[in-house]
Amino acid sequence: MSPELTVLALAALLQMGQYVLMSVPANMELGTRATLGPRDPAPGQPPLAERVSPRTGRLIRALDNHFEALILFTIAVVVVTLSGASSGFTAAMAWLYLAARVAYVPAYALGLSPWRSLVWLVGFAATALMLLAALV
Amino acid sequence: MFTDELSILALYGLYVAITLVLQASGTMQQLGMGYLLSSRDEGRSASGIAARLERALWNSISAMALFAPAILILQARDGFDENSLLAAQVFLIARVVYVPAYAFGIVGLRSLAWSAGFFATIILYFLGL
Repeated sequence: MSPELTVLALAALLQMGQYVLMSVPANMELGTRATLGPRDPAPGQPPLAERVSPRTGRLIRALDNHFEALILFTIAVVVVTLSGASSGFTAAMAWLYLAARVAYVPAYALGLSPWRSLVWLVGFAATALMLLAALV
Repeated sequence: MFTDELSILALYGLYVAITLVLQASGTMQQLGMGYLLSSRDEGRSASGIAARLERALWNSISAMALFAPAILILQARDGFDENSLLAAQVFLIARVVYVPAYAFGIVGLRSLAWSAGFFATIILYFLGL
């Protein structure tokens, strides 16, 4: 398995880890009656995702953000791997992406500003560079 | 660069990345850098062109989630031919048109571009079969 594909598998595992990290406190705060229910909007009540604590809300947004990042990263890995553009550079960018996305979660949960945004930018730039490496 | 399906996939990935940057800068103008760098614990949302770009971005991401597997299936089955290339090119052009059509609120063109991209994707799946 190429290093990029290894990182892709690890990034998917990170995503699953983020699910657990988010859903455990969310279930504890909202109660399983609410989370297992159909989550219809109750009159006068905000949506379920807005009724959690600030920390859990951050974990939800961190998970949603990784969906966006991961779909772009997946494209980058696939294109690099299938077009034979894999190199030491693209492997380094893949690892950099993973490191940034791991750091992103505590940076968001602890509200470390502007570090969360900087870490996000590192992951985004690493993905863009992989895409460009496949094209040139 | 526009003559093979994998390059088109890479170009589309970059286009979505550019859309994201445009959306983020539009949102930054409205809500301020301070809010974007914060933990956003109180939800604020943009309006107007920035909100349209946000919706266009999400639509582009869902289009990519359908387009990318179709290309991968064709690659894995060695199924690339002139039809799949044409469909991929139509997809890319349609999705490139889609974002400004949404941002500037061009009614009709946006839906037309979306449909062209969607049908091109469906054709790719049929070619994959």
